[in-house]
Amino acid sequence: MILTAELLQATLEHLVLTYTALTAGILVTIPLIFLSLYSARLASMIMRFASLVQAVPSFAVVAFIVPLIGIGFMPAVLAIMLRVLLPTIKNTYIGLFNVDSTLIEASKGIGLTDFQILKHIRLPNAYPAIFAGIKFAAILANSIAVLTALIGGGGLGPIIFEGLTNFNTVKILTGVLPVIGIALFLDFSFSRIEQRLTPEYLRK
Amino acid sequence: MKGDKLTAWSFNEIFAEIQRVWTSQLLSQRTLEHLYMFAIALFFSFLAGVLIGVLTYRNPRFADPIFNSLNIVETIPDIALLVLLLPVFGIGKTPTIVASILYSILPIARNTYTGLSNVPGEHIEIAEALGLTRREILFKIRFPLSLPLIAGGIRIAVVFTMGVVTLGGLIAAGGLGAALQNGIQLYDMGTILVTGIWIGILAVLLDGAAGLIEHILQVRYGK
Amino acid sequence: MISGKLFERIESLRLENVTKKYGENFAVRNLNLEIKGGELLILIGKSGSGKTTVLRMMNRLIEPDSGSISINGIDIRKFDPIRLRRNTGYVIQNIGLLPHLRVSGNIGLIPKLEGWKEEKIQERIQDLLNFVSLPPQVFTDRYPHELSGGQQQRVGLARAMVMSPPLFLMDEPFGALDSLLRAQLQDEFYRIKKELGRTIVFVTHDINEAFRLGDRIAIIDNSELVQVGTPQELIFSPSSNLVAEIVDSKRKYRHIDALKVKDLAQPLDKRYILDSGLSAASVLDHMSAEGLEIALVFDSPENSGRVGLTDVMKAVSSGKSLDEALKPLPLFSPETPLLEALLRLKTGGGSIGLVLENDKPGGILFSDRILQNLV
Repeated sequence: MILTAELLQATLEHLVLTYTALTAGILVTIPLIFLSLYSARLASMIMRFASLVQAVPSFAVVAFIVPLIGIGFMPAVLAIMLRVLLPTIKNTYIGLFNVDSTLIEASKGIGLTDFQILKHIRLPNAYPAIFAGIKFAAILANSIAVLTALIGGGGLGPIIFEGLTNFNTVKILTGVLPVIGIALFLDFSFSRIEQRLTPEYLRK
Repeated sequence: MKGDKLTAWSFNEIFAEIQRVWTSQLLSQRTLEHLYMFAIALFFSFLAGVLIGVLTYRNPRFADPIFNSLNIVETIPDIALLVLLLPVFGIGKTPTIVASILYSILPIARNTYTGLSNVPGEHIEIAEALGLTRREILFKIRFPLSLPLIAGGIRIAVVFTMGVVTLGGLIAAGGLGAALQNGIQLYDMGTILVTGIWIGILAVLLDGAAGLIEHILQVRYGK
Repeated sequence: MISGKLFERIESLRLENVTKKYGENFAVRNLNLEIKGGELLILIGKSGSGKTTVLRMMNRLIEPDSGSISINGIDIRKFDPIRLRRNTGYVIQNIGLLPHLRVSGNIGLIPKLEGWKEEKIQERIQDLLNFVSLPPQVFTDRYPHELSGGQQQRVGLARAMVMSPPLFLMDEPFGALDSLLRAQLQDEFYRIKKELGRTIVFVTHDINEAFRLGDRIAIIDNSELVQVGTPQELIFSPSSNLVAEIVDSKRKYRHIDALKVKDLAQPLDKRYILDSGLSAASVLDHMSAEGLEIALVFDSPENSGRVGLTDVMKAVSSGKSLDEALKPLPLFSPETPLLEALLRLKTGGGSIGLVLENDKPGGILFSDRILQNLV
């Protein structure tokens, strides 16, 4: 049997890994998005790249990190972050740019500056999409955090893979159930926040 | 050349390294295994997805419960889903294919349902006026007009399936994931790079092909 | 397969005390109307008057709440709705061509479902496309979004005719077209109508169109039938001020003799004017690029005519010159008396004339506009 303390420790590590990577991903997304607001070409390049990389399996991305920067916690964070970037960038971009063009015209017409349009028109419109992106990213981060055990990232992954090697069902479940629990919790809590943040007029 | 340092930079050395990895890791065979699992999984996801899509379109009261359940499956990390199937299916190709299907049904089913339900009223109206039965409207009007959306769902499923099949390497399903895992366990940079890039190329090509089909259907149906 | 003709010919289509309510509001209220076999009956009224609802009840797209509709004395509720609709030609304003089917697929849809043989379907499609002046070799394999508005409308008409239905229901079929093209299609439709000799119920809100095409006109207002009669009856004995207003009876007191062509000419878009020296192929290019269905050729009063897109296509495909495809185009000066202009339009068989100002095209004259003013 695995000690409860050990499981708690692993879960904690798993959460730290997941959230560090998620936060890093969001922090990288913000400047990219602001840059793309000023350069349509950069925006389309980022979007193309994001869509392209999204097709690559997570396992390949995780493995690919090893030859580039080695193994351990930081490589694991980087691997997760790379994966998480795509949904956050894509959704933020879609949210900011899929604003009714007549609305933008009208805002210009009443004399709003570009920054004011961004703040008062584009951002509120983009909240639901941005949040859906972050929610998806959080669930994805949790999932890839398991895989990064293969490159020494720690967390709940090692328990699962140890169970796999020894074909120890109890051990596998000990690792998998908290992972699923975290996923469902993330889904639930982010959905709640998403609902709160959705502007009144967009709610169903 | 094998080892923990990246030193192979000349073209000849790179080529030699690719050749070494390709033969030592049996990448031709791994690729075939990979595509075999991919094709089977995608085929059954397509069948099940479209079937569920049509079923929920016909009985909309089932739509919410079915899609909510599939959503929960989607929330479970793919690796966790794979591992959970082990006690039932053992290790190898079967749990990998089953997990791929479970994962890929939702996008296809949901897009089929959305497509069938949201055909513009004017088309349905004219079909009724011409004297098409409900069944004929489903097969001659709703279904063809939903094809671009269904293709979009299949494209998502292609990416999902590719991801899960690659993970299959971790539970002895073979395929390119197995070579990747060998590379990690042996700490063999060449194997990781060559296999990783090869998987990436395959994935992007398959996604691109699915995207092309989706695009052609969109143009074909005047969207 | 739901084959078989319900009826070879319509002797009568009778609506008795037909009422349809949506919630508290009447869409149609206690309507009595008899349509005779072979006539073209116009249903005219403002939008929301209930005219479309009446039409849609005739092929059971909508079921009345009370009252009955019968064809040749048989209540249509006795017919299977699918079979009834396949025995009825239906054309609507936005045409409703199915975007995923080629022209052939749209026209051949019902024959295919009815299990016709492939050659028979193809033959029928060719015949119908010829009938609506669309060269089959050009149009059979096109998708609806590759057609101009007028061409789509013709395909819609061909599709409605494919089962040779004895009854046609048309809901503002020309409503979405610009005035010149509408005039052209109305001309063609008038010819088709005479050739077909079928019973047609035709919804419109355009009184000019009603006068031009209708044998009888039924005026519907506020969900109720106000008056039904021939154009003459409506004009000379309107049952109410409303009818008088709709048919504009007061105009008959105008001094026609005093009116000149310039009083009724409409401005002309220069895009429609072509030089006569052009080859048929370059005219075809120009018309396709500009989206024109009809063009007027003019460079001197001796050298002028009008030509439709399909005429140009035929000319190109059979190697003829543009001149051979030209149809006569009556020319008027702004000072020509209207009566004279009308007479010349009538004898020429067309409905469009060109108005010259200082020997240059300056406006256009539609015969239906004059007719209405002359009544």
